[in-house]
Amino acid sequence: MAAATLCWALRVARQVLPLPCPRQVRSYYVDWRMLRDVKRRKMAYEHADERLRINAIRKNSILPKELQELSDKEIAALPRDSCPVRIRNRCVMTSRPRGVKRRWRLSRIVFRHFADHAQMSGVQRAMW
Amino acid sequence: TSRVLSKDKDKSAASKDSTPEGAAKSQKGGAETPKQQLLDIIGSMRVEVSYRKKLQQLKASDNKKQAMNKLEGPQSEGSVPQGVTDDTQRGKPLNPELVKAASAVASSLPHNKKQTESELLAQLRRHEETTDKQKKGETINLRNVISEMTVKRHSPAQRGARLSGRISLQLDEDGQRIRPERSSAHSMDSRRYFCCFSFFVYRSLKVGKRLNIFTKASTEPEHALKTVSSPTIWDLEFAKEVAAVTAQPPRNGFEEMIQWTKEGILWEFPIDNEVGMEDDAEFHEHIFLEKHLEGFPKEGPIRHFMELVICGLSKNPYLSVTQKVEHIEWFQKYFEEKKELLQEI
Repeated sequence: MAAATLCWALRVARQVLPLPCPRQVRSYYVDWRMLRDVKRRKMAYEHADERLRINAIRKNSILPKELQELSDKEIAALPRDSCPVRIRNRCVMTSRPRGVKRRWRLSRIVFRHFADHAQMSGVQRAMW
Repeated sequence: TSRVLSKDKDKSAASKDSTPEGAAKSQKGGAETPKQQLLDIIGSMRVEVSYRKKLQQLKASDNKKQAMNKLEGPQSEGSVPQGVTDDTQRGKPLNPELVKAASAVASSLPHNKKQTESELLAQLRRHEETTDKQKKGETINLRNVISEMTVKRHSPAQRGARLSGRISLQLDEDGQRIRPERSSAHSMDSRRYFCCFSFFVYRSLKVGKRLNIFTKASTEPEHALKTVSSPTIWDLEFAKEVAAVTAQPPRNGFEEMIQWTKEGILWEFPIDNEVGMEDDAEFHEHIFLEKHLEGFPKEGPIRHFMELVICGLSKNPYLSVTQKVEHIEWFQKYFEEKKELLQEI
Protein backbone atom coordinates (compact mmCIF):
# COMPACT_ATOMS: atom_id res chain seq x y z
CA MET A 1 0.00 0.00 0.00
CA ALA A 2 2.70 2.42 0.98
CA ALA A 3 4.85 1.25 -1.92
CA ALA A 4 2.05 1.85 -4.38
CA THR A 5 1.47 5.37 -3.20
CA LEU A 6 5.19 6.02 -3.36
CA CYS A 7 5.36 4.75 -6.93
CA TRP A 8 2.46 6.96 -7.93
CA ALA A 9 4.16 9.87 -6.28
CA LEU A 10 7.37 9.13 -8.16
CA ARG A 11 5.54 8.97 -11.47
CA VAL A 12 3.88 12.28 -10.80
CA ALA A 13 7.21 13.75 -9.88
CA ARG A 14 8.70 12.48 -13.13
CA GLN A 15 6.02 14.21 -15.16
CA VAL A 16 6.37 17.43 -13.29
CA LEU A 17 10.17 17.46 -13.27
CA PRO A 18 11.39 15.95 -16.49
CA LEU A 19 14.40 13.74 -16.07
CA PRO A 20 17.66 15.39 -16.94
CA CYS A 21 18.37 14.61 -20.53
CA PRO A 22 21.67 12.78 -20.79
CA ARG A 23 24.12 13.40 -23.58
CA GLN A 24 23.27 12.51 -27.12
CA VAL A 25 22.96 8.80 -27.61
CA ARG A 26 23.40 7.46 -31.12
CA SER A 27 20.79 4.78 -31.57
CA TYR A 28 21.05 4.49 -35.38
CA TYR A 29 23.96 4.21 -37.75
CA VAL A 30 24.18 6.86 -40.41
CA ASP A 31 23.68 4.45 -43.31
CA TRP A 32 23.82 0.77 -44.20
CA ARG A 33 27.37 0.97 -45.36
CA MET A 34 28.36 2.10 -41.94
CA LEU A 35 26.45 -0.82 -40.46
CA ARG A 36 28.25 -3.31 -42.69
CA ASP A 37 31.53 -1.77 -41.74
CA VAL A 38 30.62 -2.27 -38.09
CA LYS A 39 29.81 -5.92 -38.73
CA ARG A 40 33.10 -6.44 -40.52
CA ARG A 41 34.99 -4.94 -37.63
CA LYS A 42 33.29 -7.25 -35.16
CA MET A 43 34.06 -10.33 -37.21
CA ALA A 44 37.63 -9.33 -37.74
CA TYR A 45 38.00 -9.00 -34.01
CA GLU A 46 36.61 -12.47 -33.44
CA HIS A 47 38.82 -14.21 -35.96
CA ALA A 48 41.94 -12.15 -35.43
CA ASP A 49 43.79 -14.76 -33.37
CA GLU A 50 43.08 -17.59 -35.73
CA ARG A 51 44.13 -15.60 -38.73
CA LEU A 52 47.34 -14.60 -37.02
CA ARG A 53 48.27 -18.22 -36.23
CA ILE A 54 47.41 -19.61 -39.60
CA ASN A 55 49.34 -16.86 -41.25
CA ALA A 56 52.28 -17.68 -39.03
CA ILE A 57 52.26 -21.20 -40.47
CA ARG A 58 51.86 -19.94 -44.00
CA LYS A 59 54.60 -17.34 -44.04
CA ASN A 60 57.20 -19.84 -42.94
CA SER A 61 60.29 -21.30 -44.49
CA ILE A 62 60.79 -24.04 -41.92
CA LEU A 63 57.59 -26.04 -42.12
CA PRO A 64 56.95 -28.28 -45.12
CA LYS A 65 55.23 -26.78 -48.10
CA GLU A 66 52.34 -29.18 -48.00
CA LEU A 67 51.41 -27.90 -44.61
CA GLN A 68 51.57 -24.37 -45.82
CA GLU A 69 49.30 -25.13 -48.75
CA LEU A 70 46.86 -26.73 -46.40
CA SER A 71 46.80 -23.70 -44.17
CA ASP A 72 46.28 -21.53 -47.28
CA LYS A 73 43.13 -23.41 -47.97
CA GLU A 74 42.04 -23.10 -44.38
CA ILE A 75 42.39 -19.39 -44.20
CA ALA A 76 40.49 -19.00 -47.44
CA ALA A 77 37.70 -21.00 -45.91
CA LEU A 78 37.18 -18.46 -43.17
CA PRO A 79 34.30 -16.00 -43.65
CA ARG A 80 35.15 -13.19 -45.92
CA ASP A 81 34.24 -10.46 -43.52
CA SER A 82 36.72 -11.68 -40.98
CA CYS A 83 39.71 -10.25 -42.74
CA PRO A 84 40.80 -6.80 -41.53
CA VAL A 85 41.54 -5.62 -45.04
CA ARG A 86 37.87 -5.12 -45.71
CA ILE A 87 37.50 -2.54 -42.94
CA ARG A 88 37.22 1.01 -44.14
CA ASN A 89 37.86 3.91 -41.80
CA ARG A 90 34.74 5.88 -42.41
CA CYS A 91 33.76 9.18 -40.93
CA VAL A 92 31.91 8.64 -37.68
CA MET A 93 29.37 11.39 -38.19
CA THR A 94 28.60 11.20 -41.91
CA SER A 95 30.02 7.79 -42.95
CA ARG A 96 32.09 9.43 -45.67
CA PRO A 97 34.69 6.90 -46.85
CA ARG A 98 37.19 9.44 -48.12
CA GLY A 99 38.88 12.46 -46.61
CA VAL A 100 38.81 11.03 -43.10
CA LYS A 101 41.44 12.13 -40.59
CA ARG A 102 42.44 9.17 -38.51
CA ARG A 103 43.04 11.03 -35.28
CA TRP A 104 39.53 12.38 -35.07
CA ARG A 105 37.73 9.76 -37.13
CA LEU A 106 35.95 12.61 -38.88
CA SER A 107 35.70 13.63 -42.49
CA ARG A 108 37.26 16.89 -43.49
CA ILE A 109 33.97 18.71 -43.77
CA VAL A 110 32.69 17.74 -40.33
CA PHE A 111 36.06 18.50 -38.85
CA ARG A 112 36.03 21.98 -40.30
CA HIS A 113 32.51 22.51 -39.06
CA PHE A 114 33.31 21.62 -35.51
CA ALA A 115 36.62 23.42 -35.43
CA ASP A 116 35.01 26.65 -36.61
CA HIS A 117 32.40 26.39 -33.90
CA ALA A 118 35.20 25.89 -31.33
CA GLN A 119 34.04 22.42 -30.44
CA MET A 120 37.36 20.75 -31.10
CA SER A 121 39.68 20.98 -28.19
CA GLY A 122 43.09 22.33 -29.03
CA VAL A 123 42.32 22.98 -32.70
CA GLN A 124 42.89 26.42 -34.05
CA ARG A 125 42.92 28.07 -37.45
CA ALA A 126 46.42 28.01 -38.76
CA MET A 127 48.02 31.35 -39.46
CA TRP A 128 51.69 31.86 -40.12
CA THR B 1 72.54 25.81 28.49
CA SER B 2 76.29 25.99 28.69
CA ARG B 3 76.00 28.48 31.50
CA VAL B 4 73.77 26.15 33.40
CA LEU B 5 76.15 23.31 32.86
CA SER B 6 79.13 25.31 34.12
CA LYS B 7 77.14 26.28 37.13
CA ASP B 8 76.33 22.67 37.58
CA LYS B 9 79.97 21.83 37.70
CA ASP B 10 80.52 24.53 40.28
CA LYS B 11 77.58 23.52 42.33
CA SER B 12 77.99 19.83 41.97
CA ALA B 13 80.80 19.89 44.42
CA ALA B 14 78.58 21.66 46.88
CA SER B 15 75.47 19.74 46.01
CA LYS B 16 77.09 16.36 46.23
CA ASP B 17 76.34 16.64 49.86
CA SER B 18 72.72 16.55 49.00
CA THR B 19 72.23 12.95 48.02
CA PRO B 20 69.26 11.64 46.10
CA GLU B 21 67.20 13.37 48.72
CA GLY B 22 67.96 16.66 47.12
CA ALA B 23 64.39 17.68 47.53
CA ALA B 24 64.46 16.78 51.15
CA LYS B 25 67.40 19.04 51.60
CA SER B 26 65.73 21.79 49.70
CA GLN B 27 62.79 21.40 51.96
CA LYS B 28 64.99 21.88 54.96
CA GLY B 29 66.94 24.81 53.50
CA GLY B 30 63.94 26.92 52.65
CA ALA B 31 66.01 30.04 52.39
CA GLU B 32 67.72 28.74 49.25
CA THR B 33 66.74 30.43 46.06
CA PRO B 34 64.63 28.36 43.67
CA LYS B 35 67.52 28.45 41.24
CA GLN B 36 69.82 26.86 43.75
CA GLN B 37 67.20 24.30 44.48
CA LEU B 38 66.97 23.52 40.80
CA LEU B 39 70.69 23.16 40.55
CA ASP B 40 70.74 21.00 43.62
CA ILE B 41 68.22 18.76 42.07
CA ILE B 42 70.21 18.60 38.88
CA GLY B 43 73.26 17.79 40.84
CA SER B 44 71.41 15.13 42.75
CA MET B 45 70.20 13.68 39.52
CA ARG B 46 73.71 13.41 38.28
CA VAL B 47 74.77 11.96 41.56
CA GLU B 48 72.18 9.22 41.11
CA VAL B 49 73.77 8.28 37.82
CA SER B 50 77.17 8.06 39.37
CA TYR B 51 75.75 6.07 42.25
CA ARG B 52 74.55 3.45 39.86
CA LYS B 53 77.96 2.73 38.51
CA LYS B 54 79.48 2.71 41.92
CA LEU B 55 76.85 0.42 43.26
CA GLN B 56 77.51 -1.91 40.36
CA GLN B 57 81.16 -1.94 41.20
CA LEU B 58 80.42 -2.35 44.83
CA LYS B 59 78.12 -5.23 44.21
CA ALA B 60 80.77 -7.02 42.22
CA SER B 61 83.38 -6.34 44.82
CA ASP B 62 81.07 -7.19 47.67
CA ASN B 63 80.22 -10.55 46.26
CA LYS B 64 83.88 -11.28 46.13
CA LYS B 65 84.68 -9.93 49.53
CA GLN B 66 81.64 -11.32 51.25
CA ALA B 67 83.13 -14.69 52.07
CA MET B 68 86.32 -13.09 53.24
CA ASN B 69 85.27 -10.10 55.24
CA LYS B 70 81.86 -10.88 56.55
CA LEU B 71 82.74 -11.23 60.19
CA GLU B 72 85.48 -8.68 60.19
CA GLY B 73 84.45 -5.09 60.21
CA PRO B 74 85.21 -3.29 56.96
CA GLN B 75 88.70 -1.88 57.16
CA SER B 76 88.55 1.63 55.84
CA GLU B 77 85.01 2.39 56.83
CA GLY B 78 85.09 3.17 60.49
CA SER B 79 81.69 4.65 60.33
CA VAL B 80 79.91 1.39 59.66
CA PRO B 81 79.33 0.49 63.30
CA GLN B 82 77.95 3.96 63.70
CA GLY B 83 75.61 3.36 60.80
CA VAL B 84 74.63 0.05 62.23
CA THR B 85 73.87 1.60 65.56
CA ASP B 86 71.79 4.22 63.79
CA ASP B 87 69.76 1.56 62.17
CA THR B 88 69.28 -0.39 65.28
CA GLN B 89 68.20 2.76 67.02
CA ARG B 90 65.53 3.25 64.39
CA GLY B 91 64.37 -0.25 64.95
CA LYS B 92 64.56 -1.62 61.39
CA PRO B 93 67.63 -3.57 60.39
CA LEU B 94 68.91 -2.87 56.93
CA ASN B 95 70.65 -5.36 54.73
CA PRO B 96 74.27 -5.44 55.85
CA GLU B 97 75.40 -5.45 52.25
CA LEU B 98 73.45 -2.31 51.60
CA VAL B 99 74.98 -0.76 54.64
CA LYS B 100 78.43 -1.65 53.46
CA ALA B 101 77.69 -0.28 50.03
CA ALA B 102 76.35 2.94 51.48
CA SER B 103 79.36 3.42 53.63
CA ALA B 104 81.68 2.70 50.74
CA VAL B 105 79.92 5.24 48.58
CA ALA B 106 79.96 7.79 51.31
CA SER B 107 83.64 7.30 51.78
CA SER B 108 84.24 7.69 48.08
CA LEU B 109 82.53 11.08 48.03
CA PRO B 110 84.69 14.02 49.01
CA HIS B 111 82.53 15.92 51.50
CA ASN B 112 81.35 15.10 54.97
CA LYS B 113 81.32 11.34 54.94
CA LYS B 114 79.28 10.86 58.05
CA GLN B 115 76.51 13.15 57.01
CA THR B 116 76.28 11.62 53.57
CA GLU B 117 76.32 8.21 55.01
CA SER B 118 73.51 8.90 57.40
CA GLU B 119 71.45 10.47 54.69
CA LEU B 120 72.09 7.54 52.40
CA LEU B 121 71.03 5.12 55.02
CA ALA B 122 67.88 7.08 55.69
CA GLN B 123 67.09 6.96 52.01
CA LEU B 124 67.73 3.24 51.94
CA ARG B 125 65.44 2.74 54.86
CA ARG B 126 62.69 4.60 53.19
CA HIS B 127 63.14 2.52 50.07
CA GLU B 128 63.03 -0.62 52.10
CA GLU B 129 59.79 0.48 53.71
CA THR B 130 58.14 1.12 50.40
CA THR B 131 59.30 -2.16 48.96
CA ASP B 132 58.09 -4.06 51.98
CA LYS B 133 54.71 -2.43 51.73
CA GLN B 134 54.50 -3.37 48.14
CA LYS B 135 55.71 -6.88 48.78
CA LYS B 136 53.08 -7.49 51.36
CA GLY B 137 50.21 -6.28 49.32
CA GLU B 138 50.66 -6.18 45.61
CA THR B 139 53.25 -6.56 42.91
CA ILE B 140 55.42 -3.74 41.79
CA ASN B 141 53.34 -3.01 38.81
CA LEU B 142 53.39 0.24 36.92
CA ARG B 143 49.66 0.52 37.32
CA ASN B 144 49.88 0.06 41.01
CA VAL B 145 52.65 2.55 41.22
CA ILE B 146 50.54 5.13 39.49
CA SER B 147 47.55 4.31 41.61
CA GLU B 148 49.64 4.41 44.73
CA MET B 149 51.03 7.72 43.73
CA THR B 150 47.62 9.17 43.38
CA VAL B 151 46.37 7.70 46.61
CA LYS B 152 49.38 8.05 48.87
CA ARG B 153 50.69 11.25 50.29
CA HIS B 154 53.56 12.53 48.24
CA SER B 155 56.68 11.49 50.06
CA PRO B 156 59.61 13.81 49.63
CA ALA B 157 61.71 11.13 47.96
CA GLN B 158 59.09 10.59 45.30
CA ARG B 159 58.69 14.30 44.85
CA GLY B 160 62.35 14.74 44.42
CA ALA B 161 62.45 11.93 41.90
CA ARG B 162 59.52 13.43 40.05
CA LEU B 163 61.08 16.84 39.90
CA SER B 164 64.33 15.36 38.71
CA GLY B 165 62.35 13.40 36.22
CA ARG B 166 60.78 16.60 34.90
CA ILE B 167 64.10 18.29 34.57
CA SER B 168 65.51 15.23 32.92
CA LEU B 169 62.69 15.61 30.41
CA GLN B 170 63.83 19.03 29.45
CA LEU B 171 67.48 18.19 29.38
CA ASP B 172 67.30 14.85 27.72
CA GLU B 173 65.26 16.25 24.87
CA ASP B 174 62.96 13.40 25.05
CA GLY B 175 59.91 13.47 22.88
CA GLN B 176 57.60 11.95 25.42
CA ARG B 177 55.94 14.17 27.91
CA ILE B 178 53.99 11.69 29.89
CA ARG B 179 54.99 12.97 33.25
CA PRO B 180 53.67 10.50 35.74
CA GLU B 181 54.99 7.59 33.78
CA ARG B 182 58.31 9.21 33.40
CA SER B 183 58.67 10.03 37.03
CA SER B 184 57.37 6.69 38.07
CA ALA B 185 59.88 5.04 35.78
CA HIS B 186 62.58 7.15 37.31
CA SER B 187 61.54 6.42 40.83
CA MET B 188 61.04 2.84 39.88
CA ASP B 189 64.54 2.71 38.54
CA SER B 190 66.08 4.22 41.62
CA ARG B 191 63.96 2.11 43.89
CA ARG B 192 64.57 -0.98 41.91
CA TYR B 193 68.21 -0.32 41.93
CA PHE B 194 68.47 -0.02 45.66
CA CYS B 195 66.36 -3.08 46.03
CA CYS B 196 68.30 -5.13 43.59
CA PHE B 197 69.95 -6.80 46.52
CA SER B 198 66.64 -7.76 48.02
CA PHE B 199 65.16 -10.07 45.48
CA PHE B 200 61.43 -9.85 45.00
CA VAL B 201 59.34 -12.20 43.01
CA TYR B 202 57.53 -10.82 39.99
CA ARG B 203 54.05 -12.17 39.94
CA SER B 204 51.63 -12.40 37.11
CA LEU B 205 49.88 -9.42 35.57
CA LYS B 206 46.44 -10.22 36.85
CA VAL B 207 47.39 -10.12 40.48
CA GLY B 208 46.69 -6.81 42.06
CA LYS B 209 43.81 -4.50 42.73
CA ARG B 210 41.74 -3.41 39.79
CA LEU B 211 41.97 0.15 38.67
CA ASN B 212 38.57 0.24 36.94
CA ILE B 213 39.78 2.41 34.14
CA PHE B 214 38.09 0.39 31.43
CA THR B 215 34.59 -0.98 31.63
CA LYS B 216 34.14 -4.47 30.50
CA ALA B 217 32.74 -4.53 26.97
CA SER B 218 29.25 -5.89 27.11
CA THR B 219 29.06 -8.79 24.76
CA GLU B 220 25.79 -8.09 23.07
CA PRO B 221 24.36 -10.98 21.20
CA GLU B 222 24.52 -10.08 17.56
CA HIS B 223 21.15 -9.43 16.16
CA ALA B 224 20.18 -12.34 14.09
CA LEU B 225 20.43 -11.43 10.43
CA LYS B 226 17.05 -10.78 9.09
CA THR B 227 16.35 -13.54 6.68
CA VAL B 228 16.05 -11.68 3.42
CA SER B 229 15.12 -13.68 0.42
CA SER B 230 16.43 -12.59 -2.93
CA PRO B 231 15.07 -9.11 -3.60
CA THR B 232 11.88 -9.23 -5.57
CA ILE B 233 11.38 -7.53 -8.89
CA TRP B 234 9.27 -4.90 -7.23
CA ASP B 235 12.04 -4.08 -4.86
CA LEU B 236 14.46 -3.70 -7.72
CA GLU B 237 12.08 -1.49 -9.62
CA PHE B 238 11.48 0.61 -6.57
CA ALA B 239 15.17 1.00 -6.01
CA LYS B 240 15.66 2.03 -9.63
CA GLU B 241 12.92 4.61 -9.43
CA VAL B 242 14.31 6.07 -6.27
CA ALA B 243 17.75 6.30 -7.78
CA ALA B 244 16.36 7.93 -10.91
CA VAL B 245 14.49 10.55 -8.95
CA THR B 246 17.30 11.35 -6.57
CA ALA B 247 19.85 11.69 -9.35
CA GLN B 248 19.80 15.44 -9.80
CA PRO B 249 21.47 16.97 -12.82
CA PRO B 250 25.02 18.08 -12.05
CA ARG B 251 25.24 21.59 -10.77
CA ASN B 252 28.71 22.25 -12.08
CA GLY B 253 31.51 20.78 -14.11
CA PHE B 254 32.99 18.93 -11.19
CA GLU B 255 29.84 17.01 -10.49
CA GLU B 256 29.54 16.24 -14.14
CA MET B 257 33.04 14.80 -14.18
CA ILE B 258 32.24 12.79 -11.06
CA GLN B 259 29.21 11.36 -12.80
CA TRP B 260 31.22 10.49 -15.84
CA THR B 261 33.87 8.76 -13.76
CA LYS B 262 31.21 6.68 -12.04
CA GLU B 263 29.77 5.68 -15.39
CA GLY B 264 33.19 4.79 -16.72
CA ILE B 265 33.39 7.40 -19.42
CA LEU B 266 36.18 9.28 -17.70
CA TRP B 267 39.30 7.61 -16.43
CA GLU B 268 40.40 7.91 -12.83
CA PHE B 269 43.27 10.28 -12.20
CA PRO B 270 46.19 9.87 -11.65
CA ILE B 271 46.08 7.52 -14.57
CA ASP B 272 46.94 3.96 -13.71
CA ASN B 273 48.30 2.18 -16.74
CA GLU B 274 47.34 -1.21 -15.43
CA VAL B 275 43.64 -0.68 -14.85
CA GLY B 276 41.70 -3.79 -15.72
CA MET B 277 44.88 -5.71 -16.33
CA GLU B 278 45.66 -7.84 -13.32
CA ASP B 279 48.45 -10.10 -14.32
CA ASP B 280 49.64 -11.76 -11.17
CA ALA B 281 52.12 -13.98 -12.98
CA GLU B 282 55.81 -13.66 -12.30
CA PHE B 283 58.29 -12.76 -15.02
CA HIS B 284 59.60 -16.29 -15.30
CA GLU B 285 56.19 -17.54 -16.31
CA HIS B 286 56.24 -15.14 -19.22
CA ILE B 287 59.71 -15.92 -20.44
CA PHE B 288 60.39 -19.57 -19.76
CA LEU B 289 57.70 -21.21 -21.82
CA GLU B 290 59.58 -24.36 -22.76
CA LYS B 291 57.59 -26.43 -20.33
CA HIS B 292 54.56 -25.99 -22.56
CA LEU B 293 56.42 -27.61 -25.43
CA GLU B 294 56.10 -31.09 -24.05
CA GLY B 295 53.38 -32.21 -26.46
CA PHE B 296 55.55 -31.62 -29.50
CA PRO B 297 58.09 -33.95 -31.10
CA LYS B 298 61.59 -33.19 -29.94
CA GLU B 299 63.15 -32.99 -33.34
CA GLY B 300 62.11 -31.81 -36.70
CA PRO B 301 60.80 -28.70 -38.29
CA ILE B 302 57.79 -28.46 -36.02
CA ARG B 303 59.98 -28.20 -32.96
CA HIS B 304 62.07 -25.58 -34.68
CA PHE B 305 58.98 -23.63 -35.55
CA MET B 306 57.58 -23.84 -32.02
CA GLU B 307 60.79 -22.68 -30.50
CA LEU B 308 60.62 -19.61 -32.67
CA VAL B 309 57.04 -19.09 -31.58
CA ILE B 310 58.07 -19.30 -27.96
CA CYS B 311 60.91 -16.89 -28.49
CA GLY B 312 58.47 -14.39 -29.93
CA LEU B 313 55.98 -14.87 -27.13
CA SER B 314 58.56 -14.37 -24.44
CA LYS B 315 59.31 -10.96 -25.88
CA ASN B 316 55.67 -9.96 -26.01
CA PRO B 317 54.65 -7.72 -23.13
CA TYR B 318 51.07 -7.24 -24.23
CA LEU B 319 49.73 -10.73 -23.75
CA SER B 320 48.96 -12.33 -20.46
CA VAL B 321 50.32 -15.73 -19.52
CA THR B 322 46.98 -17.43 -20.16
CA GLN B 323 46.83 -15.94 -23.61
CA LYS B 324 50.31 -17.19 -24.42
CA VAL B 325 49.49 -20.66 -23.18
CA GLU B 326 46.35 -20.63 -25.30
CA HIS B 327 48.43 -19.69 -28.31
CA ILE B 328 50.73 -22.65 -27.84
CA GLU B 329 47.85 -25.01 -27.21
CA TRP B 330 46.13 -23.94 -30.38
CA PHE B 331 49.24 -24.89 -32.33
CA GLN B 332 49.39 -28.19 -30.56
CA LYS B 333 45.83 -28.99 -31.52
CA TYR B 334 46.41 -27.91 -35.08
CA PHE B 335 49.44 -30.09 -35.52
CA GLU B 336 47.72 -33.05 -33.97
CA GLU B 337 44.91 -32.77 -36.47
CA LYS B 338 47.38 -32.70 -39.31
CA LYS B 339 49.38 -35.65 -38.01
CA GLU B 340 48.40 -38.08 -40.75
CA LEU B 341 49.35 -35.66 -43.39
CA LEU B 342 52.63 -34.94 -41.69
CA GLN B 343 53.49 -38.60 -41.45
CA GLU B 344 53.03 -39.03 -45.13
CA ILE B 345 55.76 -36.51 -45.64
